[in-house]
Amino acid sequence: MSSKPAFKVLGRDTQRQDGVAKVTGREKFASDLSLPNMLHARVLKSPYAHAKVKRIDVSAISDPTVVTLTPDEVPDARFCPRLMSTPEATYKDWTVLTSKPRYVGETIAAVAAESEEAAQRALESLVVEYEEFTAVFDALGSMEPGVEPIHDYIELDEETLKVESNIACHLEIEEGDTEEGFRQADHVVERTYRTNRRYHTQLETKSVLVRPEPNGGVTVWSTTQTLHNTRILLHEIFGIPMGKIRVMKVPIGGSFGSSIQVNPVVPIAVALALKARRPVKLSYTREEDLHDHCSYQMIFKLKLGADREGKLTAGHLDAWLDIGAHQIQAYPLLGCVVGWWVSLYKLPAKSYVGKAVYTNKVPSCAFRGYGNPQITWAVETLMDELAEKVGVDPLDFRFMNYIGEGDLFWGQGPSVKSVIHSCGVEEILTKGAEMSDWYNRPRAETQTGRHRRGWGMGRGYHTSSAGAPVPGTVIDFGGAMLKLNEDGTFDYVSALMDHGGGTLDANAKIIAEELEIPHHKVNIVRADTGTTVYDVCTHASRGIYSGGGAALKVAAQVKQKIREQAGNLLDAYPNALKFRYDQQREQAVVYAEGIEGREITYKELAYTMRNKNLGTIAAVDSYRQPSCPPHFTGYFIEVDVDTWTGKVRPLRVIAGADIGTVINPKLAKGQIHGGLAQGWSMTVNEDTPYDPTSGDLWNRGFISDYKVPTSMDLPSLEAFTVFFADTYEPTGPFGAKGIGEGALNPVAGAVANAIQNALGVRFYELPITKDRILEALKRKEVEA
Amino acid sequence: MKIDVTINGRERSFDVPPNTLLLNLLRERLDLTGSKYGCGIGECGACTLLLDGEPVLGCMTLAVDCDGRTVETIEGLGDGDGLHPIQEAYLEEGAVQCGFCTPGFIMTTKALLEEEPNPSEAEIREYLKGNVCRCTGYVNIVAAVQSAAGKMR
Amino acid sequence: MNPINKHNTHIVMPFEYHQPATVRAAVEILRKHPGAKPLAGGTDLVPKMKQRLLEPKHVVNLKKIPELSVVEDRGDAVYIGAAVRLREIEKSETIRRRLPLLSSCVRSIGSVQIRNMGTLGGNVCNASPAADGALGLVALEATVHIAGPGGERQVEAKSFFEGPGLTVLGEDELVTGFTVPVPTEDTGTCFISVGRTALDISTISIAVALTMDGDRVKDAKVVLGSVAPTPIRLADAEKQLKGKTLTEKLVEDTAMKVSESIKPITDIRGTAEYRREASRGMAVEAITKAWREGRTQR
Repeated sequence: MSSKPAFKVLGRDTQRQDGVAKVTGREKFASDLSLPNMLHARVLKSPYAHAKVKRIDVSAISDPTVVTLTPDEVPDARFCPRLMSTPEATYKDWTVLTSKPRYVGETIAAVAAESEEAAQRALESLVVEYEEFTAVFDALGSMEPGVEPIHDYIELDEETLKVESNIACHLEIEEGDTEEGFRQADHVVERTYRTNRRYHTQLETKSVLVRPEPNGGVTVWSTTQTLHNTRILLHEIFGIPMGKIRVMKVPIGGSFGSSIQVNPVVPIAVALALKARRPVKLSYTREEDLHDHCSYQMIFKLKLGADREGKLTAGHLDAWLDIGAHQIQAYPLLGCVVGWWVSLYKLPAKSYVGKAVYTNKVPSCAFRGYGNPQITWAVETLMDELAEKVGVDPLDFRFMNYIGEGDLFWGQGPSVKSVIHSCGVEEILTKGAEMSDWYNRPRAETQTGRHRRGWGMGRGYHTSSAGAPVPGTVIDFGGAMLKLNEDGTFDYVSALMDHGGGTLDANAKIIAEELEIPHHKVNIVRADTGTTVYDVCTHASRGIYSGGGAALKVAAQVKQKIREQAGNLLDAYPNALKFRYDQQREQAVVYAEGIEGREITYKELAYTMRNKNLGTIAAVDSYRQPSCPPHFTGYFIEVDVDTWTGKVRPLRVIAGADIGTVINPKLAKGQIHGGLAQGWSMTVNEDTPYDPTSGDLWNRGFISDYKVPTSMDLPSLEAFTVFFADTYEPTGPFGAKGIGEGALNPVAGAVANAIQNALGVRFYELPITKDRILEALKRKEVEA
Repeated sequence: MKIDVTINGRERSFDVPPNTLLLNLLRERLDLTGSKYGCGIGECGACTLLLDGEPVLGCMTLAVDCDGRTVETIEGLGDGDGLHPIQEAYLEEGAVQCGFCTPGFIMTTKALLEEEPNPSEAEIREYLKGNVCRCTGYVNIVAAVQSAAGKMR
Repeated sequence: MNPINKHNTHIVMPFEYHQPATVRAAVEILRKHPGAKPLAGGTDLVPKMKQRLLEPKHVVNLKKIPELSVVEDRGDAVYIGAAVRLREIEKSETIRRRLPLLSSCVRSIGSVQIRNMGTLGGNVCNASPAADGALGLVALEATVHIAGPGGERQVEAKSFFEGPGLTVLGEDELVTGFTVPVPTEDTGTCFISVGRTALDISTISIAVALTMDGDRVKDAKVVLGSVAPTPIRLADAEKQLKGKTLTEKLVEDTAMKVSESIKPITDIRGTAEYRREASRGMAVEAITKAWREGRTQR
């Protein structure tokens, strides 16, 4: 049990400040925006998976008002659209447009016209001559000798690197004597796993509106998770002074990692707007969006050893990451894959060889969990298998080996190490086991008949931010500004994005808690790059831990200033002053206890200061968090497998999460609900296979053949239980940690283990579709 | 082609080419952007609106087909400053995350509760299955529909 | 050009819009403008126009033709107009009571929104091998009414389809409705389908109608979807059932026959092997349910 302070604001459900706009349809997303005199853009997509553009002829466009953009008209600088790492960890292989398309759907040219119809006609008038190259669609095949190089040279920092065997980058790590570790093991299991390549299916397609400004700058409204990195990248590409680039905060219609990088539509629209000298809007169709981004497909060869008591002795992991045609964050991901892996369970010795490989496919980017759901699925599957070999219950096996309080943790990769100071793993596993009656679940292979039931469990975590006590290769800090308004309310100004989880409301509540006022007194300002200090990005489940940390830091500074100013006006010692909220006046009151008349409300204070020309009480600051505490999660899931149709249904879900102090209970649970839905469908459904003949996605971009779960595919309200562990993170704002990604990471492992429990068959490839289940059952029947 | 359409209670006349889609008419001519483009092929439900009281998809409806008919979008819900009970319920239950799918869900919910004021959870889930939400896992949405049903009874 | 470059959030190509009030007038427009497309719910036609898979110069809205929107109980059959929306069929008390098989086929199509827009005629004319509505019509031995410049003709539902997207319909012809015979009281029916999610085109579907005399099968119809270029009736399986007394063993043997007699292909929704394998279990379930229902209804 933690000893949490009693909170006045935190832990209570409050209505989100953008709620009314969202339920009335008045919220404007990037794709909803328009400007007078705006042009509509369309982009030309490569029909070939690998080719060279020999010629683009725009002369057939009859409409003189059409603006065209070809590869020779854009800056030729190579860049990386994701700027979360230091330069020595940022590989650059992108250009605004390409004359060497490397996947079907890569953008070659763009047009802008008075209407979408006119843009379409112009697009169809472009004549392009290609020289086709052979293409490769498999990461392992791509490294074979003789395969057509996808990139010849790429850039790292100021260096030019030659690409060998289509390997984009690689990372090797060894800690301890792995060989000796395996020698000490009584049981060793090694398996090969292959994950799917999932599409985010964020509801809003990638969109941008750009207005060129008379000073030579641009104002940008785009789908993004990071305002400031968008500005930095546009500055790097176009050379526009940063003060003249304004990136505006607009709500984003779902992202799940797909806008950590600056989306390709953004620089294209900027180039068009600069050339046209008119506002340009570019909003993808769903089919274009499906050709824009996806998750990383990973192939793992994972080996774990344990002694006869069930203590892990060593592990080795080979990982091949299919990154598609470009690097978005391949190198940092190689570090995270090993980090996620070694921070799940204590491995006295471990070694890792990770390779990120180019293929002629849609570029992969972060997708909620950034490789963690993939590796955790493999580890949690193997942990079950190894437990069986050792002869202990899989849950007990996890109890014996998990990494928890006091342990060194480096989920975000080898350069981001810190020590864990809060851990709810025991509570999650113990409660989950009780609620699921875990130890009495059916035994695998004992069931017959059409419908078979199974329970599975999976546990995991994600980091809350990428903070650490010392600098590494990951950039992670944020900032905020807070000012007291003349009516006693506050303006909270931050570049931090809220993807819908209620991040900014949570941070407003943290401020309200500190300043002893209700949540609605803290106004969340929709700001832009010019009015905010730097914040890296909303990713890595850092919104509350880091963003809230920054909010708390400025709130404390503002509180101190209030003390000082009130002390002056009340003729009291600042540090002796107390704060309370007066419900009747609807004002916070600063007062000297026991002394009558020595009190002032925030409103009176701000007004008096204004009238006496004493200034505004405000604070602006940056904040670097000292750590990246894991938020732990665990899922116990019961499934029903229909052995006639191969369909798997969720029967019961019990989810426990250790997120430290819970700030928005319903929305925090909402993260778990959404994580379960995405993880469920990652396990049983989602993938973007390719048709090697056309080189295109097999579904050709149609969402009708990329299925995400509907309301009918998920468990009933009664069958889905979520609980929070009672923990307090000492480095977090009022004890809080993240939740977004941990909510997803262990789901696939739990579902896969449940399917194994029901059928007695283990699957090493995702997704475990109805087809694969029937195939496996048939194989089993034949073998028997 | 000249058409007369009642949109959110107001009669309006337009002259539109026949290839104009209702969704684009609303979004581009009237700036009623609450109805969203999500897929354009009837898979996601983000453009759900009510045509003569029934939920349909604006992305696949010709504007000319709406001549003489009544269209209700998310912007027409509630009265003045007050929220409709469904909107209130969505907020109270935490059914809104990114909010992009929310207008479509709310319009489908309105149609459901008008048709069946007391739906079972299974009926709610079946009725909403044409609306995709990628954030919430539908849990708080289903709870919001139940709560809205209670408020409206 | 990459086909996705033709996809649009708008219908880019202009067309002339027609809104005839009679079948005759509609047929006349189709005759006059070869390539003209009839529009009913728009759930298939409009996306195809947005993707430029179809670029008709003339579009003929059928929804203003009153005679296409009737549902009529004609005693031994129910007549359903081609432009009757799927949701109306689903809600129709007559169809639910008299044609429960068709009712459940229609309920499995798309979402509420899609069914509010889409029509039975559209579901059939689109000629998808996966069309659930078509499956019901074939199983119930419905007649398709077709109007053309030369007058009306009638075609059996199972002969209407010629392949994916292909029908016997001439360019200047129009489906006006369906006469669906009402199964006798002693007939049990069942429709089941499997998709990747609850909102999906069927990976495989089956409709069974068994007319029973106690446990003896008087007549049998077994129809599968998504296993051939069109919905198909499996004569072999039907033969195996007809005149026999049903036992669990016979059901299983017949299901095996179903599985053996189909030649499905692999597509993104499922593999050929999957369809063959799943058809067996689905046939067991559908035949068993139809059997139970036929027996008890008697």
